[in-house]
Amino acid sequence: MAMDKSYVSPLPASENKLPASENDRRGQSAARRQLSDHPLMKRLADAGPPIAVFVLFVLGWEFIVQLAGIPAYILPKPSDIYAAARDQWSNLVTSVTTTVLEAVIGFVISIVLGVGLAILLALSKIVERSIYPYAIIMQTIPIVAIAPIIVIWFGAGLNAIIIIAFLISFFPIFSNTLIGLNSTEQNMKNLFYLYHATKLQTIARLRIPAALPYIVAGLKISCTLSIIGAIVGEYIAGIGGGKGGLGYAITVAATRLQTPYLFACGLSASLLGIFFFLIVNALSRMLLRSWHESEMNS
Amino acid sequence: MVLKTSETVEGYAGVHEHPVIGRELVAMENVGKVYPNGTIAVQNVNLKAGEGEFLCFVGPSGCGKSTIFNMIAGLTSPTSGTLSVLRTTPKEARKHNEIAFVFQEHTLLPWCNLMENVTLPLKLRGMPKKTMKEEGERVLELVGLKDYIKALPRQLSGGMKMRVSIARALISRPKLLLMDEPFGALDEITRQTLQHELLNIWQKEKRMTVLFITHNVFEAVFLSTRVVVMTPRPGKVSNIIGIPFPFPRSEQFRTLPQFGEYVRSVSESLKH
Repeated sequence: MAMDKSYVSPLPASENKLPASENDRRGQSAARRQLSDHPLMKRLADAGPPIAVFVLFVLGWEFIVQLAGIPAYILPKPSDIYAAARDQWSNLVTSVTTTVLEAVIGFVISIVLGVGLAILLALSKIVERSIYPYAIIMQTIPIVAIAPIIVIWFGAGLNAIIIIAFLISFFPIFSNTLIGLNSTEQNMKNLFYLYHATKLQTIARLRIPAALPYIVAGLKISCTLSIIGAIVGEYIAGIGGGKGGLGYAITVAATRLQTPYLFACGLSASLLGIFFFLIVNALSRMLLRSWHESEMNS
Repeated sequence: MVLKTSETVEGYAGVHEHPVIGRELVAMENVGKVYPNGTIAVQNVNLKAGEGEFLCFVGPSGCGKSTIFNMIAGLTSPTSGTLSVLRTTPKEARKHNEIAFVFQEHTLLPWCNLMENVTLPLKLRGMPKKTMKEEGERVLELVGLKDYIKALPRQLSGGMKMRVSIARALISRPKLLLMDEPFGALDEITRQTLQHELLNIWQKEKRMTVLFITHNVFEAVFLSTRVVVMTPRPGKVSNIIGIPFPFPRSEQFRTLPQFGEYVRSVSESLKH
């Protein structure tokens, strides 16, 4: 569709008599249109407006803060944040990798346990009835409130942080998987029953694949939650020295009023969250694109 | 003009060459089903289906067609009377993979391609891969979808999905095929094409018995060797009408005066 009208053929020789300025303009517009047919250019054109807003926002921030003379420890300029990140680059990288490590381990554990426990519950109605209410109650406990207990039990450091990240990201995966496993179509279940499938066959060949869209939705929620969990864990159980994560770096920067570096840490955490989400999103597309509505046309 | 047969196989036999009625596949004697809440689903059903028959159950909703189907499939048990399928209980019969099912919904797995979908019953029984592939190709060829082995269900039209569903039922070479309004959701043209193809398949698998639920009188008359007419409240068999028109039946059958006669007598039975 993009090929038909927007393509302008090169000017025929007879039209070269046109005034130079007009000829120029037409030539330029033709070149622009041809370029805009390229898919990459199309994507750039789509990305253009938001990028423009971003650039304007950053520039506006820079100049307004400069003109108003707000000190950097209250509101740093983008250039201050950049400078702080550059000056403490190796610290920032260490913090980010530590947090990534904690979040990923917590996330993976919550996938394994969340999906595993949900399957266990789905296999037996009695087990489900006896455990599910407690799972719901557990979900309502604000993890921050019990985090100090976890530190008491497991000591400050990596273990406690991973457990906090796991606890925060566990429930969305668990409850989504369970809902997914329980929402298999009755017709399909009848079919498997009539062909005398065993319970395990029904789970493996019908209920888990049918629950995949739900599981993936849970993963999408939990992947960013695992980063929040890791950072919260670091606030409470973080250890200093060279091994502290983003949460620890943030608390330190805040107490020392190193606001530009604080901003750099916060931005890194947001970028991390976006990055995690994009990875899970790509996984979701890979798994569901061929058959599920949610990933078909996007 | 229309023969009102008794409710036994004998009354039907010899009306035309095909199919040869062999031993009884389904026998219902005074079968009744009362649900725990007191609803009488079916009452006093006496019915025998012989090997190679094509029996259509026709009637309005609530007449107990699906209840009979579920009882034969072993999904529910009758509360009175006796029911035997393949000379044993429905559950036993199902264990030997001699019954297959087609529903109104195609019930295909959306994440599996056609080959994986039609071979599912074999896979659940742990058959070797080679057998699955051969049998899968056989049934997909039977329904004319051999070129779509790798396609996913969502890429197919409603009629094609139903063909796959039929292919999946045929893969275990069942003695008894139960079809619960399989063409109910299809448009009239697709429906007629599929009726024709179903008859062809049934004739190829000479000894297969088909029990077919529909609420479409024309469909019932076109397909069946006998039409079982059911009436609601409480659900019971009001009449069994033989359609002694020879097979193979072409599309032309629909235009013959006899066809109209059969349709009229079935419709009249429905009103009682």
